Amino acid sequence: MSDLPTTPTVSASGLTLRYGGTAALDDVSVRLGEGVTGLLGPNGAGKTTLLRVLATAVPPDKGAFTVLGNDPGTTAGRQEVRRALGYLPQAPGFHPDFTAFEFVDYVAILKELTDRTARHREVRRVLDDVALSDVRGKRIKKLSGGMRQRVALAAALVGDPGFLVLDEPTVGLDPEQRMRFRELIARAGEGRTVLLSTHQTEDVAMLCHRVIVMVRGRVRFEGTPAELTARAAGRVWSSTERDPGAWAGWRTGTGSFRNVGEPPKDADLVEPTLEDGYLLTLDGEASEVAAA
Amino acid sequence: MTVMTRALLTPVLRTLPWRALAGGGATALLLAGIPRMLSGAPDPWLGLISLRGAALALALGLAFLLDDPARHITSAVPVRRPLRVGLRVALALPGAALCWTAAVFLVPEEARPPVGALTLEAIATAVFALASAALIIQRSTATEPGVAVSTGLLSTAAAAFLLLPDGWALLVSPDDPRWTDTHERWAMLLTVALAVGTRACVEPLRAWRLGSFRGRAQQAAPL
Repeated sequence: MSDLPTTPTVSASGLTLRYGGTAALDDVSVRLGEGVTGLLGPNGAGKTTLLRVLATAVPPDKGAFTVLGNDPGTTAGRQEVRRALGYLPQAPGFHPDFTAFEFVDYVAILKELTDRTARHREVRRVLDDVALSDVRGKRIKKLSGGMRQRVALAAALVGDPGFLVLDEPTVGLDPEQRMRFRELIARAGEGRTVLLSTHQTEDVAMLCHRVIVMVRGRVRFEGTPAELTARAAGRVWSSTERDPGAWAGWRTGTGSFRNVGEPPKDADLVEPTLEDGYLLTLDGEASEVAAA
Repeated sequence: MTVMTRALLTPVLRTLPWRALAGGGATALLLAGIPRMLSGAPDPWLGLISLRGAALALALGLAFLLDDPARHITSAVPVRRPLRVGLRVALALPGAALCWTAAVFLVPEEARPPVGALTLEAIATAVFALASAALIIQRSTATEPGVAVSTGLLSTAAAAFLLLPDGWALLVSPDDPRWTDTHERWAMLLTVALAVGTRACVEPLRAWRLGSFRGRAQQAAPL
């Protein structure tokens, strides 16, 4: 697990949060630097909880963290964190009768941009950044799902935050919209810290310089995408029949089977992908977590 | 009025659940107008029931006041939640007060119960509804607690009418010897609801334990 950021902009230690008897976060320690960090994990792994804690939407039971040198445990520190924060929650809701411009403008006011002229300039800038200038006067209820996601991203980007928290922003988007969204996130990651929670390993492979894998409220892997992919080196093979010894195996478009796990002798090893590394990191946890 | 409050005034006004508020107000006026619509001698009992119904209808409308579909997007912004909630309440308050006053005057004078006591009941019911909504928001990820609160409020009102023992009665008539005691309980209910509501408005979800991270944040840095 090399390449840890030497000057972390976000640093968390021992974050623990329990809902009833379940530990949504269990002693999580992470540190993030400039650029896009991907957060992978099965449903119920604690990704959204970690994001909400780091976004100061919910306090942890235990642990500490700083964002750009500010401690959210104090009122003044929390205000500073929120001033430096852009947050795109999972399934963001909107006031449907607002236009895209009005909604982002409302969020801009909540981010303390009170000067009307400067604020409107900033709102136009972010709407332009997310390619919504043409529909800025359209009511949100008339916009497509992809456009609404971009409105939410614009709301997160308004005020030029130094720390951007994005919770599954590409869910429900078609491939073209996803590609456009990736472009936006990549651009947003230039010069700021972005934490991106996703189920899409392609998003991580294409966007992220670092990746964190969470399982059952704990960090199971933290490193670069290349390091995660390397975990599957020598553990992915091709065969003409489904290999019963494989941890996961599926028929590919060419008719051969791609197997992931401990290969038999003389297996026809193939180049692993980030997804293979991720699957092997989960090592059976995904289905257990889903069943739980 | 601060610069921030002025800037927030128009957008917050637009985020208010006007349909629910107007529905509650209209129902309240309709209920208060029943004694006047019915022919015959003014009936104090009917006046009392009508005004209590109007108070409940108003509270049911106000139960939706904190509904905010964009809550999650605005959950971590520097403008503090008490200001936003306070602004919503302040914007809805004049309309609610006007509606209640109109409801009181709709009941014929001969059938009108003691206005001060009934107003206390109406305020306590409304604050109870708002405090419940604030509590749901604080304790869950719900964005629109209005439906749950209004259902709960209706059930509570029915339970208060049917199930409360004599010593705890809340809904008695002015000629009942327990009238004064009952309104002391209403005042107590209002105080508790105000305290709970105010506490629930401090932060969304669970409250940050102020100062709990002091010092420990320093330990996080040299990971």
